[in-house]
Amino acid sequence: MRVANKHDGLVRAAHWVHVPLLLGLIASGLAIYWAAPVFRHAPTPGNPRGDYLVDVGRALASWFGATGETRFWLYERLSVGPMQLANALRLHWLFAYLYMACGALYIAGLVRGGGWRALLPRATDPAEALAMIRYYLGVIPHALARKPWPHPMIAGKYNALQRSAYLAMPLVGALIVLSGWAMHHPATLGWLERVFVNYDGARIVHFACMVILGGFMIPHVVLAIADGWDTLRSMVTGWSLRVKGTPHG
Amino acid sequence: MVEKRTKRPTAAERLATALGRVGAAAAERPETTRETTRGALAARSRRDFLLFGASVVATAVAGWWLLPERAKRTWLPGAADKLDTLAARVGLTRMQREANLNRVLTFDDDVAEALYSKQRRVRTYDRPDPRPLRNNYHGRTPGPEYLPEWRLNLTGLASGRSESLAIDELLTRFARHDMNTRLVCVEGWSHVTAWGGLRFADLLAAYPPAPGMRWAAMRSEVSLSASGAPEAYYVSIDLETARHPQALLATHHAGAPLTLAHGAPLRLVAPMKLGLKNIKALTHIAYTADEPADYWNERGYSRYDGL
Repeated sequence: MRVANKHDGLVRAAHWVHVPLLLGLIASGLAIYWAAPVFRHAPTPGNPRGDYLVDVGRALASWFGATGETRFWLYERLSVGPMQLANALRLHWLFAYLYMACGALYIAGLVRGGGWRALLPRATDPAEALAMIRYYLGVIPHALARKPWPHPMIAGKYNALQRSAYLAMPLVGALIVLSGWAMHHPATLGWLERVFVNYDGARIVHFACMVILGGFMIPHVVLAIADGWDTLRSMVTGWSLRVKGTPHG
Repeated sequence: MVEKRTKRPTAAERLATALGRVGAAAAERPETTRETTRGALAARSRRDFLLFGASVVATAVAGWWLLPERAKRTWLPGAADKLDTLAARVGLTRMQREANLNRVLTFDDDVAEALYSKQRRVRTYDRPDPRPLRNNYHGRTPGPEYLPEWRLNLTGLASGRSESLAIDELLTRFARHDMNTRLVCVEGWSHVTAWGGLRFADLLAAYPPAPGMRWAAMRSEVSLSASGAPEAYYVSIDLETARHPQALLATHHAGAPLTLAHGAPLRLVAPMKLGLKNIKALTHIAYTADEPADYWNERGYSRYDGL
């Protein structure tokens, strides 16, 4: 039988190792953020630091019907907790060094396996992206109406939406690492701090990159599961039964 | 027959050829396939998924071990104790976690030290931030009672004596230096502040430490705990940092003498270190050969704190 070679071994390993690392970085990072929120409004009695994440947590807590003290509702669920700064910093450094090493392995795997070529933008991307958006919007209505809704023909390994997302992730990853170093050593790496205008600029970029990386995971997991077992398996084993040019392709 | 020599390509043509080559090298290659048997695929898949599953289990165990106690109890209140016991049984104890995480801190400090250069100047600013500097005394801010009695006490000097200096001596004997630098708190907030004071290097020159001394144990005997009880605050500063021209023993802040909130009458301002090293209301400097104790290091933070 014939199988298609999908992902380099290093890419597969680095891909999965990223999952606990990103979760650990977000959990420890938000606990660091708790100590001095960068997005703040004027102090209010229940929120003396004016931390918007306290407001968001309270809103979510009442939505979920939580009772009692809900000031740190969000921090208690998404981070290792309030009042954990020393712990959170050590964990963040541990995960950050592993994240950088893991990112380097991912890049090495893209180079070794030649996978980087499938991620580069090309002239046909805008039209293909529109076709894919049209397809995704039509999936549920056509399924409900029991009408056929064929997937647009994709010439390469990925469609234009996947390609832009999969290229953006390592770039955002590089940006979050750089902004992290700018905050960690604004005196030693003064030039890097200036790249982000100032210290708070680096904090905002770091936070925004975290939102993008975290936000990517949700549609990524949904679409990978929707695509089926073959796609999930190929990220573990490296091969796929969907060979281009066959009925499955 | 003699072949006619072709014209040499122009620069534009050569650029086009080069771009074409780059484009061809970067173009996506057709998918590669391989012929295999169902048995070989099954065997490889089994191996890969066993490895994957073992890694997931190992990651879950390691993740649980690394979680702070508070998070364990918040996330799995019912099972936290049992899981801790299980983890300890495979050798993952709380003590080991602390030792390993502290090793991470030391590694990060070593990286910081490797990047650091004593020749480098910390960025300065034309003007300080307009909003007032926050008072982040970790305990209660001391009242003015200590000011009349205040002295700066020096020990570990080459003279073998100990010195006790009044603030007027420090103000009159040493040149005043001003700088606008960013104070960065470990919590994440920062403030560009206008500082004025004497250089630590000038004090070191006037009262040289005994030979072999590499550290300054800097102490405030007047600081208070959160409940207002006397509680000394102390930081370690290596003498190389102390001799940096931007390490000030500050007497002024925002153009006026230091207020009680900011460590009157004398504090350390070392903008290459986190704010927690910038000890307020300094009363004692002891030069030592070995690294002295550091208040926040004893509470789980780095002892290097280099920015």
